Amino acid sequence: MAQGDSRSTTNNSARVGVTAAGVVSPLGFGLAETLESLRHARDCVTAVMRFSVAQCRCKTAGQVSDSRLLAGHPLTRQSRRLHRASHMMIRALREVFSQEPDFDPESMIIGTTSGGMSYGERYYRSLNAGGNLRNAPTWIANYPAQKPVLDAQTACGIAVPCQVIANACASGTNALGHAFECVRSGRYQRVLAGGYDALTEMVFVGFDSLQASTPDKCRPFDRDRSGMVLGEGAAVLALENLDLARKRGATILAEIIGYGISTDNYHITQPEPSGLGARQAMARALEKAQIPAADVDYINAHGTATIFNDAAEGKAISALFDGVPVSSTKSMMGHSLGAAGAIEAVVCLLALQHQFLPANINFTNPDDGFDFDIVANEARSAVVNTVLSNSFGFGGTNASLLMRNMRTGQA
Amino acid sequence: MSLAIAGMGWVTPLGTGVEFVWNRLLEGEEASATTISAGSSDRVYTAFRVPESTLKGISHPRLRRASAISRFAAVAGLQALESAGLKPESQSAERMALIFAISNGGVTYTKRFYHEIVGTGAQAASPLLFPETVFNAPASHLAAILGLTGATYTLVGDGSVGVAAVTMAEELMANNTLDYCLVVGTEEIDSLLCDAYRRWRLLRSTPPIEPFRKQQRGMILSEGAGAIVLARDGFSAIERVHPGGYFIERSQAEKILTGILSDLSQTEIDLIISSANGTFVDNAESRAVENVLPSSLVYTGKPALGESVGAAGLWQIIFAAQALRSKEIPPVLHADHSGTLYLSRSRIPVASARRAIVLSSGLNQQIAGLRLAIA
Repeated sequence: MAQGDSRSTTNNSARVGVTAAGVVSPLGFGLAETLESLRHARDCVTAVMRFSVAQCRCKTAGQVSDSRLLAGHPLTRQSRRLHRASHMMIRALREVFSQEPDFDPESMIIGTTSGGMSYGERYYRSLNAGGNLRNAPTWIANYPAQKPVLDAQTACGIAVPCQVIANACASGTNALGHAFECVRSGRYQRVLAGGYDALTEMVFVGFDSLQASTPDKCRPFDRDRSGMVLGEGAAVLALENLDLARKRGATILAEIIGYGISTDNYHITQPEPSGLGARQAMARALEKAQIPAADVDYINAHGTATIFNDAAEGKAISALFDGVPVSSTKSMMGHSLGAAGAIEAVVCLLALQHQFLPANINFTNPDDGFDFDIVANEARSAVVNTVLSNSFGFGGTNASLLMRNMRTGQA
Repeated sequence: MSLAIAGMGWVTPLGTGVEFVWNRLLEGEEASATTISAGSSDRVYTAFRVPESTLKGISHPRLRRASAISRFAAVAGLQALESAGLKPESQSAERMALIFAISNGGVTYTKRFYHEIVGTGAQAASPLLFPETVFNAPASHLAAILGLTGATYTLVGDGSVGVAAVTMAEELMANNTLDYCLVVGTEEIDSLLCDAYRRWRLLRSTPPIEPFRKQQRGMILSEGAGAIVLARDGFSAIERVHPGGYFIERSQAEKILTGILSDLSQTEIDLIISSANGTFVDNAESRAVENVLPSSLVYTGKPALGESVGAAGLWQIIFAAQALRSKEIPPVLHADHSGTLYLSRSRIPVASARRAIVLSSGLNQQIAGLRLAIA
């Protein structure tokens, strides 16, 4: 769709519903498995076998099973060549269309950090070793970050313009937030948004080299936290003008009501220590939604379990909210980087739909610096009407997304 | 809502600064190719590189260890702001958004980082290099230099990503909380990229790039950055952006381009900025132009400056804006003039030109376009 004519029609006031969602993560394939893992507070972090981690401090990650990933649909010669990230995106997008077969998107906005990086690694290793480069064209063709997005579109029979956002670990939330803004402004009526990332050696070693990842369990907001574990996966959500979705009788899973973005410029890998950037992102999301902080029933924190991230985020949450329940579901599945915000939006969606608070597992010792209610180790039944999801990334990029339950009677 | 270009900045292998580079293009000059050797083999590539000397004079703590891609972007971004008459510190830090368009990212540091892992093991991996391998490192550095605290986005894609970034700028500027959007496209070259594009059969071993030949002989990679400040008023209006589409088979590119051109040519068009670069793109664009606007004047600057991939879309927009502003078009170098396209061998005046279409065809399936007009 060309955009020239729609510019004058922007109204900045349309409401935005989520009408379908698909997810692949270490928690499971699809919404039902993900819900089951969340309810049982499963630890889905396992030993890394995909590449050697012998020289790394950290040996574990949240991982998606290749055999399951490739099962469930016939593999053609062409699809065998696709990167794992493409298969994850295909699974997630197919789940969306299984719920909403008639969803007709105008745009697709997807976050990632690494694209098909492991194919780049294979190519470099072969090149460096003077090895067999017969498959190099395939690796190179499937390396670009937009390829899994286009592959998923092709597999699902759609062809719409896509934007691939690479804002480090905030990418998935940025993609959803920007899609929300596009529908809210009236520019688009229906947008697919989400994120993906597949585990790669280079990124794994990178975080290890920064000593950001832990040889221990991932313990977000614990006094004895010692770092993150990586994860992988993909999630896609169908965002739609709420009025139009209602008119066509679509099931509204939730409403997105606010999005905040900030840049804190403090350091390329560390957050501003007082939590200023995180606080700004959350405050801007609340401002956009025009709701007070007290209305938020649950925060799905960025919560990487690194010393610095949790300290900054914890201070920001403590400053803005009063005893709100908080958990980081990265404790269960690891940090899937560009996919994290999208997967965690799905977690929030499930919390809203099924009225529970997902757990922050591996939590033993509270940190006295934080003034909020950690959902420790077990999921908790609760009345959940409004949730906030945080994602913060390298480069000082911060994003927060607010979602609301559609079953509580908001007109 | 109107959106216009209020300032531009340019870092190219032919020099830096919009007027300086444009005048050289008008004179029919082209960048000098330099050789890059691959450390792991005896293979040598040629590419158009930005001379290190052109980056002198920019210093900031955030750029001390930054890769070339970040420094190109910083120079172009600061130039664009200056030409728009903006001083970063005088703007509200939240009221300017920053959007980066990138294709391959910080490939030099990425290769070096991974080389340490492959060669010596994970324990040798440098924690100083890793952050510079992240796609949004260049945007982060420029945001820090400018003190921006609002929206900062990095978009990744093929050569069309620059137009995608302008699309995103339009979407962001629909929100009245923003006054300006600084859009930067940037790319750096490494032998690894040259090798990859060669294996993909898109690279030529030595210049020139010969656009619109029946037999495509390939492109020469290039590096640098282009930046534009988008505001609600400026010298060149972004009248219409077509977010385009994607092709699975290269043969489908012509159909998408025809659709884009048809959509953008609902009004009189004086000039088409093509992304012809000596590859399959040339045939697709020339056929689409012949289908829709057969008598339009067509210009491609890639024979002179090379294929800068992530920066290319911004460079294309700068070509168009400068042509409309200066009322002149540089010569199309090394082209096959025997075809039906209206290409000029020498610089020619376009005194009455008011509108230009920018086509941005990527090599990895994506195509987009936009229409510029004198504001």
